[in-house]
Amino acid sequence: MTEVDATLIAHMSDPKNYGTIEEPDAMGIGENPENGEKVIITLRVVVQEETPVIEDIKFQAIGCMTTVVAGSIITEEAKGIDFPRAEQLITATLGMLENIPPEEAACSEMVALSLQASMDSYREKQKDPNFGTITYKIENSCVVKEGK
Amino acid sequence: MKTLLIKTHELWLEILMAGFMSRGENRIKLYDFSDIIFRHFTWLEHHMIAIGEPYDYDRDIIPVKVDRLSIILNNINRRISELDLQIMACPDKNLVQRISSDLKYISSTLSTIKEESVTAFDTSRVLNGIALSKEATDALTLFLFEESYKEYELIMIYNYLQAHSEDAFLNRIFQIMIDESKFHLRSFGQMMAEMGILGVPRTIHKSLYQIEDVRQFLRDGIEEEIAAKEMCKELSDAVAKDSKELAAFFDFINFQEDYHISLMTDALVHYEGLENHG
Repeated sequence: MTEVDATLIAHMSDPKNYGTIEEPDAMGIGENPENGEKVIITLRVVVQEETPVIEDIKFQAIGCMTTVVAGSIITEEAKGIDFPRAEQLITATLGMLENIPPEEAACSEMVALSLQASMDSYREKQKDPNFGTITYKIENSCVVKEGK
Repeated sequence: MKTLLIKTHELWLEILMAGFMSRGENRIKLYDFSDIIFRHFTWLEHHMIAIGEPYDYDRDIIPVKVDRLSIILNNINRRISELDLQIMACPDKNLVQRISSDLKYISSTLSTIKEESVTAFDTSRVLNGIALSKEATDALTLFLFEESYKEYELIMIYNYLQAHSEDAFLNRIFQIMIDESKFHLRSFGQMMAEMGILGVPRTIHKSLYQIEDVRQFLRDGIEEEIAAKEMCKELSDAVAKDSKELAAFFDFINFQEDYHISLMTDALVHYEGLENHG
């Protein structure tokens, strides 16, 4: 079972960057096709030296508290960094999933993929302002299989 | 009108949180006032539906971390003053008079409430002096955060369904579900405050209450209630050796879920009957 400490309580009682940016520059969704849980990320982007930078980020979760905590941590790390560094953050997050329980892996993957989807949506919007929202579906299952 | 609805939503939650923080006789008064403000919220919502004005349940973050009750009561009174001015823009003057009269009384009463020190944010994680194991304390902490949000979510979902239904049979069920979830939220909120881990439930995404397929929502909801029963049982087992009283409380919540499942099944059968005859 998850061990509870002061940091975890802080993220649960007051999740960082929770909500929606009004008229965002881009939106992305990470979805669990198994149960319909999803994370929706909205971005405000500025371009510095031709590189997009995440000026502001907010997330909403249709899911459990583990997803909210993952969203709070990952969006806090993503705030203020440029897209290439945010993609490194996503790669690092996805790389750690094998070492954590499956239900927690699914939640973190959902947040990481929604961040990727929001950045990819932003890039597409630069080519076509009418472009909508990208949704990526997770591969990890949050259902603990019997016998595991 | 939309701002008025948002501000009333925030006021309801802020007074409810103040009720959780209070440990004395003030608590009941604050709970009663939060119920009155929730009713204002539903009146405003019905008015907006009647005049065809779009709305949702979005709201801002509500800062509630205080160490004295008077601080949050002053914040509430400031919010009431703003609301009392904003309500004047509402075209339904009878509604304005009803709400304004309530707000004036609540505001004057809040000013007389006795000061209390607030320990709802001290993260002591001790409930009523019961010495639980670290594992049981962690399980209880996770349960309370998860379920307090869930109860708030259910209040808002059933409230939305009720606001958009004119079916007396269904509305009776929705009202019972709202009342049950309010009771659970109150119980869990008090426990969170006692343990020093109180937090305002996060906002709800529109897709959760603007439901396209109510039958599927009810089917999923029944599954969730069954899962919640299991969680209550596990928690009851985890705390039983340290506190018979706490174990009995979670058994009580567990058995209440049976009633919810029964009501949701009734609603599902009713919906299916409507579709077959419609």
